[in-house]
Parts: sequence; C-alpha cells; structure tokens
Amino acid sequence: MPKEERYDFVIVGGGPNGVGTAAYLAKCGASVCVLEERPEAGGAVENTEPIPGVRITPHAMYMYAGPAPAFEQLELHKYGFRMDWSPQSKNLADQQLRGVATTYGLAPITDKDALGWAKISGMLTSPPFIKELLRSIFWCPPHPSEVEITAENIPYMQVYKKHQPDVWTEELLDMTMFDLMDEYLETEPIKVMHAMVAWYSGAAGHWEGVAIPALGCDITLTIYGGISVPRGGMHGYFHSIIRCAIAHGVVVRTCCPVDEIIIQDGRAVGVRLRETATTDEKRIWANKAVISDVDVKQTFTKLVGTQHLSSSFRRKVEDISLKGGSIWVSHLLTREKLRCRPKFRNPISGDDAGLGPYPCDSREIYYEHVADVDGRRGKPTMPPERLMWLSTPGDRFDAADSQCTIPGRYLASPYYTYVPPPEYTVGGPDALDKVKEEINAYLRKAFSQTIENLNDDTLVHHWANTPYESEFRNTGLIGGTWCGTRHCDDQWGENRPIPELSRYRTPIEGLYLCNQTACHPGGLALMAIPYNLMHILIEDGLAEPGKWWYPSPWYIPQQDKVSAVPRHGGDK
Amino acid sequence: MKKRELVGQPHPQCFFSEFPAESDWDAVVIGAGPNGLITAAYLARAGLKVAIVERRYEIGGGLATEEILYPGFYSNMHAIYHLMVDFMPAIKDFDMERHGLVWIKPNLQTAMVFEDGGSLLLTRMIEDTMDSFHKYSDKDAVAFGKLMRNWRRIVSEILAPATYIPAMAPIDLTVAMQRTEIGREMLELVEQSPLEIVNKNFENDRIRAFLLYISCMWGLDPRETGIGFYVPLLIDRGMNKCYLHGGSHKLAGALSREIVRAGGTILESSDVIKINRHNGSVTGVELMEGRTLNSDVVISSLDPHTTFFDLMDKKKLPTDLKESVERWKYDKWSFNTLHVVSKEAPHYACGDPWVDESFMTIFGFESTKQLLAHWDNVVAGKLDKNSLGGHATCESFLDSHLVRKPGNHISFFQIHAPYNLEGGWDKRGPEIKEAMLAKWEKAAPNMKRENIVMSTQETPKDIEIRFPNMRRGSIKHGDYTPIQMGCFRPNEACSNHNTPIKGLYLCGASTYPGGLVLGGPGYLAANRVAEDLGVKKWWKPTKEMEHYIKTYLT
Amino acid sequence: MSDSLIGKIFDEFPDESKWDVVIIGGGPNGLIAGAYLAKAGVKVAVVERRYEVGGGLATEEILFPGYYSNMHAIYHMMVDFMPVLQDFNMNRHALMWLKPNAQTGMVFKDGKSLLLTRMVEDTKDSISKLSYKDAIAFGKLTRKWRKIVDEIIGPATYIPPMAPIEISMAMQRTKVGNEMLELVEQSPLEIITRNFENDRVRALLLYTSCMWGLDPRETGIGMFVALMLQRGVNKCYCDGGSHKFAGALAREIVGNGGTILDAAEVAKIIMQNGRAVGVQLAEGRVLRSKVVMSTLDPHSTFLNLVGAKNLPADLKESIERWQYDKWSYYTLHVASKEPPKYACDDPWVNNAFMVIFGIEGLEQLLSHWDNVVAGKISDNFGGHATCESLFDPHLVRSPYGGYVSFFQMHAPYEIEGGWDKKGKEMEDAILEKWRKAAPNMTKNNIIMTSHETPAGIETRFPNMRRGGIKHGDYKPIQLGCFRPNQDCSSSKTPIEGLYVCGASTYPGGMVLGGSGYLGANKVAEDLGIRKWWKPTKPMEQYIKTYLE
Repeated sequence: MPKEERYDFVIVGGGPNGVGTAAYLAKCGASVCVLEERPEAGGAVENTEPIPGVRITPHAMYMYAGPAPAFEQLELHKYGFRMDWSPQSKNLADQQLRGVATTYGLAPITDKDALGWAKISGMLTSPPFIKELLRSIFWCPPHPSEVEITAENIPYMQVYKKHQPDVWTEELLDMTMFDLMDEYLETEPIKVMHAMVAWYSGAAGHWEGVAIPALGCDITLTIYGGISVPRGGMHGYFHSIIRCAIAHGVVVRTCCPVDEIIIQDGRAVGVRLRETATTDEKRIWANKAVISDVDVKQTFTKLVGTQHLSSSFRRKVEDISLKGGSIWVSHLLTREKLRCRPKFRNPISGDDAGLGPYPCDSREIYYEHVADVDGRRGKPTMPPERLMWLSTPGDRFDAADSQCTIPGRYLASPYYTYVPPPEYTVGGPDALDKVKEEINAYLRKAFSQTIENLNDDTLVHHWANTPYESEFRNTGLIGGTWCGTRHCDDQWGENRPIPELSRYRTPIEGLYLCNQTACHPGGLALMAIPYNLMHILIEDGLAEPGKWWYPSPWYIPQQDKVSAVPRHGGDK
Repeated sequence: MKKRELVGQPHPQCFFSEFPAESDWDAVVIGAGPNGLITAAYLARAGLKVAIVERRYEIGGGLATEEILYPGFYSNMHAIYHLMVDFMPAIKDFDMERHGLVWIKPNLQTAMVFEDGGSLLLTRMIEDTMDSFHKYSDKDAVAFGKLMRNWRRIVSEILAPATYIPAMAPIDLTVAMQRTEIGREMLELVEQSPLEIVNKNFENDRIRAFLLYISCMWGLDPRETGIGFYVPLLIDRGMNKCYLHGGSHKLAGALSREIVRAGGTILESSDVIKINRHNGSVTGVELMEGRTLNSDVVISSLDPHTTFFDLMDKKKLPTDLKESVERWKYDKWSFNTLHVVSKEAPHYACGDPWVDESFMTIFGFESTKQLLAHWDNVVAGKLDKNSLGGHATCESFLDSHLVRKPGNHISFFQIHAPYNLEGGWDKRGPEIKEAMLAKWEKAAPNMKRENIVMSTQETPKDIEIRFPNMRRGSIKHGDYTPIQMGCFRPNEACSNHNTPIKGLYLCGASTYPGGLVLGGPGYLAANRVAEDLGVKKWWKPTKEMEHYIKTYLT
Repeated sequence: MSDSLIGKIFDEFPDESKWDVVIIGGGPNGLIAGAYLAKAGVKVAVVERRYEVGGGLATEEILFPGYYSNMHAIYHMMVDFMPVLQDFNMNRHALMWLKPNAQTGMVFKDGKSLLLTRMVEDTKDSISKLSYKDAIAFGKLTRKWRKIVDEIIGPATYIPPMAPIEISMAMQRTKVGNEMLELVEQSPLEIITRNFENDRVRALLLYTSCMWGLDPRETGIGMFVALMLQRGVNKCYCDGGSHKFAGALAREIVGNGGTILDAAEVAKIIMQNGRAVGVQLAEGRVLRSKVVMSTLDPHSTFLNLVGAKNLPADLKESIERWQYDKWSYYTLHVASKEPPKYACDDPWVNNAFMVIFGIEGLEQLLSHWDNVVAGKISDNFGGHATCESLFDPHLVRSPYGGYVSFFQMHAPYEIEGGWDKKGKEMEDAILEKWRKAAPNMTKNNIIMTSHETPAGIETRFPNMRRGGIKHGDYKPIQLGCFRPNQDCSSSKTPIEGLYVCGASTYPGGMVLGGSGYLGANKVAEDLGIRKWWKPTKPMEQYIKTYLE
C-alpha cells in the first residue's frame, strides 16, 4: 500500500449518501475514497440474518427514492437495481379500498378523500405532476442565503402554481399537514393515518410550516409502490449504488473508522484513521475536499474538534433537535402466519396482519402518542390498546424473495413504534434498554389489538433494536432516528440543520456534509443529498459532470459562484 | 423453489428503469462464494463480460462476517482460519493489499488445554512449539522439530503449489514425485493413516491427541490410508493460519470490487432455478424472479446435486455422470458452533497465561482415546455430552471491528457434529448448547452465565439453511476420501473443471482441489475457461508453482 | 489645580476641554450613541460615574474571590434586530452570542415541567404533556406573533416613535398590522387565558410575558405579549459575560477618536442662556460641548443636573409625574460545586437558559405580583434562575472550580421591615425553595452566596431609581411617544443642546440599544452630520410597508 494515500475527495462514512456522493463524483472523473467503520458499507440501508434463513432489515425498509434523478444519472439499473413489486402496490384503487385501521375495524375511505388526496398529490392533472412535486420537495438544494425565501421561489410552491394553482396559497407555508388535509379530505381516520405515515417518514403531520414536506414524505412511500421493496431489501438497492461507485473507480474501505478530520490553516486536508483501521497507512489526504457522511454532531464535536469551532456555532450544533424519529423496530418470527382479527378483514387485504398505522380513530390518539414520545421522555405510558404503531403488509415478503424466512416460519417485519430519543430519556440513554423485554411484551400486547394469533405458542422470536442500540450499531444514527434530525420548520430546507450549514458547506474550508442529519432533505435513502450536494460542489469548482448531468429546475446559483446549470443545459 | 411471475417490466407507478428481464453475457458464474468470485474476477479482468449471480442477499458464501448476534455484534460465522494465504495466486495477482486486506498471523496459533491445567501450544515458530512439547516429552519435542523441517518443504515445494495446478492421475503423480527426495518422502506418507503417522512419530498421548486433532479437524478419517500427505499439510498450515482483519468477508468484498471494476456485474438475491440448455450445450441461467441471463458459458460453484440434478434435467444427463453424482458422498461430519457475546474474554484455567491469546484453543479432550471416541460418535450420528470437545476462538481479541457496543467480546466454540443427530437437532439442540457451555466454563471458568450477554447456536442443519449447497452441513461440499480427491473430485470427467455438458464448468469446493477457502477450484476453473475460449491470460503462475512445474512436470 | 512646588511632573487630562458631544453615562445606550457619533467624525466624550463602563452590562466578581457574575443584564433579547451589531463589525471584538434552544424551563412541585425553546416544535412537545390543544394553539399563535415581531415591533424599535393614532393608521395597511392592533387592546392576562386552557401553561406564558414589568391586567400593552414571548424564546447569552458587549462598544469609541472618562460623576449640566453647553464633573473638570446627551433617568437629568429652575413648567411637571418601575428585583448569586439539577420529567430543563420555579399556577403568580406591588413578599413567591457557567466557563476563576448561578425574583423597592433585615431572611427562604426544585442545592453544595436587593441595585446604579431597571414603568402613558414625555420621546428636549437617550426614553430599557441608536440619529441630523450607517433590512422593509 502506498505510504501516502491521496485522493481528490475523501468521504467519511459509507452510508447511502456517502457512497452515492462518491458515485456522482467518480462519474465526474474524480478520485474518491470512502471510509466505512463497519465490516459492511450501507449504513442504515442494511440486511442481517440473525438466525439461518431469516433475513430482517434493521432500519431502512421502504423504497422512498423513486423519483430520484440518480436512477437516470447513475444508471443504477446497469448495476443490478431491481424491485420486488408487491401485487398490492400495483393497484392504487385497491389500496384505497383496504380502508384505515381503527379500534372499531377498517374505516372506509370516501371518494372525497381519494380525490382530495389525489389532487394535493399531483395526480389529478394529466399528465400527473407528482414526480415533479416530489422532486421539488426533496431533489433541489436549498436556496443561497442571499435569496429571500418567499412563497414564490419555494420549489414546491412553484410546482403547485404551475400545475394546480387552486391548491397554491401563501397559507401553505404556515399549515400543518393536518390543516391541509382538513381542507381536502373528510374522513378523520385517513387524515390520522397520513399524518402518522408522514411523522414516521420524517416530517410530522402536526408540525407547522412543513405541510407539503410532510405530504411529500408520505406520498413517496404510499403512492409510489410503498409496500414494494427492492430485490434483496433496501441493501439490494444500495448494492446497485456502491457497484456504480466502484465501477467508476471509487475506493471503498471497510473497517476503517476515522478519528479525526485533519484541519490545516482552517482547511480540511484529510483524515486520520483509528489505529485499529485495517490499513497500513493511517492518514489519508484529500486534494479537493473531505465530505462527511457522519452525523452533524459527531462530525464537528469529535472529528473536526471543538477547538476549530466558535462557541455560538458549537452551541447551535449541540442544540440540533433529534426528536420525532427515534424508532423501536420489532421483527416477529412466528410458527403461524399472523392473521388480523376478523373486523379488519376485507376482500382486498384478506387476513393480512400488516394494516399500516394503527389505531387511526382520531387525532387525540395521535397527539397522546406525540406527547408520550416527544414530550414525556420516559417509558411509553399509553395503554397498549391506544399505543400507535405501524406495520406494512407481511405478504410482501413472500412475493419473490426466498430468503426472508424458512419453511414453517413466518416473519412479520417490521413493526415500528416511536420512543423518546436516548439523549432525552429521563434516567439516561440506556434507560429503555434496561427494560427492553418488558417493552417488547408491551408492544406485542399493542400489536395483538389487530392480530388474533400473536401469543407465546406462535411466537418463535421477537427481535428489536432500540434507538440506543441503533446508535451503537450504526454510529451516525444519532437519536436512533431513521430520518435524521427532525424535519420541523426550524430544521427544514434553508434551516437544515442550521442555516450556516444548509448548503452542505461548513465554516471549515474544504469540508462538506452529506449525512442525513446534516443536510436537506434528510433521511429515507432518497439519493437526494448526493444530487443536491453536486450543485454545490459544481458551484465551488470541485466537480465537472459530463452530459449526463442535469441540475434541479428550481435551483438558484449562489452569487459569484460557478452555476451548476451546464452550458449545454441538459435540464429535464 | 417455485417459479415466480415475471416482474421485470416497468411498474405502473415506476419512475425508473430496472435491470433488464433478459441480458447477454460471455460467462455467468453461479454462486458468489470465494471460488465463484475468484473465477469471475480473473475472467472479468481478462475482458469477458461476466455476470455472477448469488442466491443470498450478500456475496461471499463462507466468507461471511455478519451480525448474527443481533443487535450489535458481528461474527465470522463460517470461514475464519485462512490456511493458504501464503500461496493463493489470487492474493498476489490482484494485489489485495490495495483493497486494505490485512492478514494477521499470530505466532500463537493453537493451544490445547487439559483438565489438570496442563496445556500444549502450536506456534508459527517451531521452537516455541517445541518448548511447550518439552513439558511432556523431550523426545516428542525433538521429533517435532525434525519432522517439521521436512514437512515444511513438502508443503511449500509440493503440496501447496500443486493445489493450484490441474489434477493429475495417481500414477502420474507417483512417477513425478520419484524425482526428488522430498517427493519420495511425501509418497511414503500418503500410504499411512493420520493416526499411524502421529503414533509412529510421537510417544506422549496428549501430544498425539493435539496433533491428531489438528490433522483431522477439517474432516479426515484418522484411520484412513491414502490421505497421509494431509498430515504435514494441515499441521504446517495449522501453524500458519491467518485472520483477515475486519473479518473474512473483506476478502469477498475485495474480489467483488475487482469484478465490478473490470466491468463485471454482480446480482445478489438471485436464485438460479434453471441452467438453460439448447441441444446439449448450455445457453444461460434463469432466475427465480423471472429474469434470464443468456450465456454460452455457465460456471457453477455449487455442489454436484444442485448443479446437475436441481438446475438441470437429471434425465438428460450422461448416464455415468448421473451415477457418479449419485455416488457422491458429503462430508463425514459437520460442525456445531456456539457463538457468544461475553463481558469478559474467555480466560482459560491453565498453567500457561499465554493460552488466553491463542488464535484457536482446543479443549474437552484428555486423550487420543477420548478424541477418537468422540469422532466415532459423530460419524455414528451421536454426541456424548461428556466426551465432546472442540476448538474455540475469541474473535474480538483479534478484531475490534466486530463489536459495535464497546466493552464486550465475541467468541465461538465449535465442535464436530453429525448432520443427522440421534434424536434430532430441534429437540436436542438446547441440551447440546448447555453441554457446550458447561464444557467451556470448565476450561475457562469465567465463561459462566453472568458473563454471557448473548449467545446463538449454529447447527449443521443451520449451515445447510444458510448455504444450501453445503449439503448436510458439508463445509467442503463433499468428503475428503481417496476416491473423492485429486482427479476424482468430483469425478474424473469434471475434475478439470469442464464437464461433459458443453459450456458448463465447475469451480466449487466439490471440484479439485477442494474446500477450506483454498481458492484452488476458482483459479483453475478460470484458467480452464480462458483456455477453452482462447482468452489471453493476463496472469502467470506464482513462483512456487513455476518451481514445482519445473521440478516435477517438465 | 496641580501647582506644586516641584512643578508639573506629568500631564493630566485638562481641567477644561472642548467637545462636539458629551454623553453622560457609559451604559449600553451611552456607548452606542458614542460609538455611532465617534465613527461619524464627531468629537465625543463619554463620562461614566462608575469605575467601569457598561452600566447594566456588568460582569463582575461579586462572589469574591474567584467567581464572576452577570449581576444585571444577562438575557439579550434583541440581538437579532439591534442595528449596532450589524453596523459595527463586532467579530473584530470576538463578540459571540449563544442562543440555546432550551430557553426557559418551568418546574413544578410534582416533578412535572414545561419548556420554552427556540424551536417551536420542541415547545409544543413539552406543552402537549399537559394539553395538546394548548400545544396546537401555541404553534399557531407563535407563527402569527413571529410575523408581528419580525415585521413590525422588532424593526419599529429602532425607528422614531409615532403618535398612537398614526400607528393605528399605518397598521391598517396589512393583515399582520391589524392582528397587532387587536392584541394591543387586550391585557396580557386576557390574551393568555383566552388562548390557553391549562393553568400551568398559562402561568408559564404569563410569567414570560410580564416578568420584565408589565401589569398582567393592564390593557393597551398587549403587543408586548407577542414581543416578550417571541424574544423570550430568542434570548442570547454574551459569551464571556455581558460586559464584553460594553467593552466592544468602548473600543469602537476610542478607536474612532472618542474619549471615555470613568469615575467621572457629572455634578451639573452647564447651562448658558437657556441652552446646555457642557458638563461639570464632581472633581471639578469641565467638558464644554455643542451637545450634551444624557442616558440618565429623568430626575437625575432634569431636576439634579439641569436644575428645576432651568426647566419649562410643563416639562418639570411631566418629570415629577414620572413613575418608576412597578417592581424591582431581588437576586441571589450563588457559587456551587455542582450546577443545579432540577428534579423533573425533562432532562433538558437542566440545560435551560432560565428555569422558573416556585410558581404552581396562575392564581399564585398573580397574588405574588400583587404582593410585590403592595410592598410585600409572602412565602408564595417564585422566580427564575440561571446557571451562568453552564454557558460560560470564563466566569469561574477559583482554583476550586464550581459553578455560578443566580436566582432572581420580583421584589418591591420598599419592603415591610426594610431590606437590611429582609435581605438575609429572603436568602434562606430562596435556598429552601431552590432545594425543593433542585434537590442538589444543599448547604454543602453551596460555596458562597451574595444577594442583591432593589436597594442594592440603586446603590450600584443610582439612575436605576428605586431599583427601576428600565428607568421607568412600562404603561401606556409612559411608552411610545410618551416616553419619557411627548417633548422628549424623540431624544431632543425643549432645552437647546440637551438630548436624552437612556432607557427612560423611547423605546425603553432591556438593552434594546434603541434609545442610544435613535439619540445618535437625532444628534447627527441636528448637527448636519452625514450618517455613515443605513437602516437594517427589516427596518427598510417596515418603512416601505408602513411609513411611506
């Protein structure tokens, strides 16, 4: 191994954003090295087979990234990207007919609900503008600081104005997703369901000012094949990304924890690896930039070091709020296929135990859950029959993948519920882990509200990873949140995670961010951060993409910078 | 496996294109274990358009480093002791260091501890081993020193390089070996059984048990003749085991990068359900999900049954091939492995503190008699809780990356075990687990309940579930017996990696030279395919191989 | 004066000197006015009675030896708007503002708690523990009020006052403006009780709105609720102590050729045929100037320094009518081994910038305030505490380490029994209460204490008469164009050459930096000096929307 390792870009962290960014840069002809501390790259987009033949996905499970330009720009299909289309995702009408799970059974969805939803989701026009809407929400870098953010220049507002002017109103910018739905939908349970799906996907239905981002988080999942997964799970999708990166020459090193981002004269020039790193040379140099796919807090407090930060900046970083995404993931292995109780059956869903969010009776329950999770900061206090949780149809697994379970064993996975982030739990970060089994039992009680045959006789194994465990499994999954720092208005878009960092640049020259906790639009493995970051790296003259590149149509170049809009203008 | 509806074509709400339903390739490799990966890597760099399809969601086969102690702890659940690192051509040809592959070869390789606190050590450096033998027998210590001098040469000049050179008929081999003195010495060994060799050269029973375990642990019958040369090979290599820092999977990762870098394509979660044929010759493979990969060359790394019977129409096979596959014998025993997360690393109660640092530690056996009794049990489908023993390794002692939650250790304890256990694994699994924990605690008193955070047991059945082509839990895809080795592996028709079926090649552990991450079958298959397709080889034999060829084959 | 037998040994500051502008008082407003004018090329002298400039911007070692405290101003609420921070390059002086997300916590006897945060959703989370309706209401109101403050009240703070009628006219122009007008007419209590249902939520929000001296039942000041709640969740701490701000301003003055005299008590404003022509210091030196600017309270400026006889009758009357703050503060400064650890259900409260305790509900809060106004303190009192060294390690100089905190409560200037006696009693009562809220504030955790009574405030800062930190009460007739009165609210006074620019002048106290800024503007205009500075963006926006 060369004694001095040198690349154009060194990327710290081999999650989807780090590797995706690497793929983009390598396709621009740059030399790139990705350093991952775990034995396997992929971050939260991972698989594991805790017992033979049973594969679970501890974190990222759903395919949100559908509209990503990366599919075209990186040609992921060439690197083996495949989906397992669940039969259920083929027919939207069916999804409507399934109804919404409430304590009294399946609540029907009316035409007004369906139409209202379709309208705000951009599906009533022909052609639909849903893809454009989603791209405007996620796949566009925040505007530069010199630009005043108005109802006129916010990308998704432009899209509504263009395609569905009657939805456009300045109030959209103050609304919660609940407000929005109160205007276009009529049935309470479906509103609660969508609000919950939005919350569990990043931006909650009760947060002011993020009504459309919340909507976006929801529809990327539910409209676009939400219950379909990539072949081999989300890690299969990651494989196509990392293979693209490698094919373009990216060097990926696993088991290489980074201990320090080396700063010389205020500039990031490389990284220092932990002495245990599986390389000979423990320092790797970056000619152009170091890009951190490590969470924003550890990037600055651990890797950069507080000696390089002003006290006010440091305080802002320490204050970044993680609440609202700390997820307790359950995977249930059973002897019988789990069946929902009779009152939840219908011709479409049959007795499938995966009913989506439950219980969606009313937003009171939703708010109780909010208080329990983000307010009380302790063990869940709601009675199990009112606890809110989320599961998706289990038969997705049998669709085409032989490896999700073994004959005679049935895997119901994942079951999600939110708990307070470890950092804010009274009694310390490991407080909930100490009562893990107790909480698992409590959760099974909750699940049994809809499932008729989940009991000690049928249960073989209940795996769970707590948010605290997630932080260890997956350094960078701070708060155990799967969507990064909270997508509230104070941390969204131009404010994400703080205004100083919103355009992926940092106070340290040559240091850029690409972690979901640090960048718009956050998590969900959208391949949005790599795409958005590209605009900035082009602006700074660090990347020169070929004809395959096209920028976001809503992108605004920063003053006295190179515009990311190519001269050949390959705009799509 | 039932065939699923074709799901290749674009989906109603689909915003993107997927991997095509049908695609064309120069070569398709089935199975992304070490051999499949090596074959694909060589051929891809040689300019062929290669696709490698793997049934699991992750490549690597036995090169697996996964979080089976979930959540938070990785284990090398299969291959961990790399015996042939010093000789494997792939490591040199692909300059694996560029991929950050770092092999650790501890001096203290294997220890054996006894109930009375006695212990034996096998070390990379001969003198250290002799020191420990002196505790029991000066004569054996001296004998070991003398033997190893010759055996090392037998291994480095003959056995090791020959591993990467096409199989020869026994008679040709004998002729060739006559040429040199060590060649003749090796021939003498061949005719003896491991037990004879060990007994003849050593007097102390514990030393005998120690060396016999090391010689036969990977599946030799101690009483069988005709395989004697494996004793020097496995003892010498047993003194040169390497651990791949970061876990065995790193080797798979590095190979996969070579494939992709060279333009090859890797498809995980792709069960091959059929090898397509058109009037006799192969035309490609069909995946369970419905996609088809067309290719005139299909290279299978799977076991004979899967390749020939499951993926092809048995009836359409040449009779003698069909019979030889039916005759194929899987490994005489499999393994039962107990993986644990503990607060403290195992601390063995014995006179020699050094033992705690050993790469591998054998315990549970007090004598050759007991060792043989255990093996006889296993072969007879039994496990006697009292006589069982095996070897353990504390992985986190070598590799901090496996531990995600600081302050814990990962170890495993592995014993030889029958695939068909009397009473059945489902029923007796728990009790075996208890017995193993008890044994372990006896040898290492701190391995008690309070110390153990998490544990999981992998039975032979489990091995088969994870890796279906390790039939009956056979880690080598087939037993090591004289009639299943050399040019007979898997049979005379296929041991040169091509098969009677045009376009079909074999590159798995069931093909010469065999399993244990030798990397031999993969390398040899790549050579064979390259020659048959008239592709220019970009690689050359290693120095050791050239020397061997010069001495014995030209 | 210094004619000694051995002759003059070294030069001293001259007995008589000439200036364009002399500014009385080196507090925030005096320093700001001085800085603007000095940089404009005006020959400025700032005279300060204390041995150190800064006035309320004081970070001093009152816990002697080894512990510094921000004994007066600590919560900086207008950092986001103050023109001076944008007009001067404060980075040069390494001025660093910390704005913690956890701004104000409130803990209750039963271990429950509430938390106001910079980020609104975190506050909603906390409120939802007690009432999700209130959480929603808070979210909605905050968005409304944020606009009112950002677009109107914030920028208007640095624009000359308008008559009430003009304001109403101007506000009619926009939706936000109308929403503000609606607020004005309600009392803080009405606003809070109308919008929120939970008693504890009400108590927290009312405390936050009125803690700086609003009468909860008074109408006509409703917009202050929006202002105080908005700025109350945007409080900044000046890293290194509030005095750093004063230091930075002082350097700007001196750097631009101005002069600062500390320990220079003004004995009188020199009058010459009806106009102010300079000041005479107690030590005898005379500073002559075209303009005298006073940052002192009305009594000191007009009655003491100008002299009643030199005042127009109506001005004299209005001064005599002037009312000082309805209450003052009693502060207990503490050095402790550990920072206070509050026993409550929210780990964030321990990191909060301000923690309110002792108040269990609205009724108790009101009766406490009624007591204070009536000159009493009964055991139902409560207040707010801050652990300064959680944010600022520089304050602890002692080799034994530790933490500096204070507890502050509303207190009458004149108390039954007198402060000499009551001061010590209160100390024990407070520590008792503090221990209830934060059990680790035990005797052996506490290294030393020092209490500051309203009388003490007046002793340190005589122009904070009766401990009035704002130099005068906030009530409709003492606000806006009535502060301190219609003649003087634009800084200019009926007396030629005399300007006022202290907290008793529009827009008021609380380190707004408004009076000083407006004073400088006024003087610059009157002296015909070119202004080197421009209004801030928000101000321009406000002018465009409402004044043009």
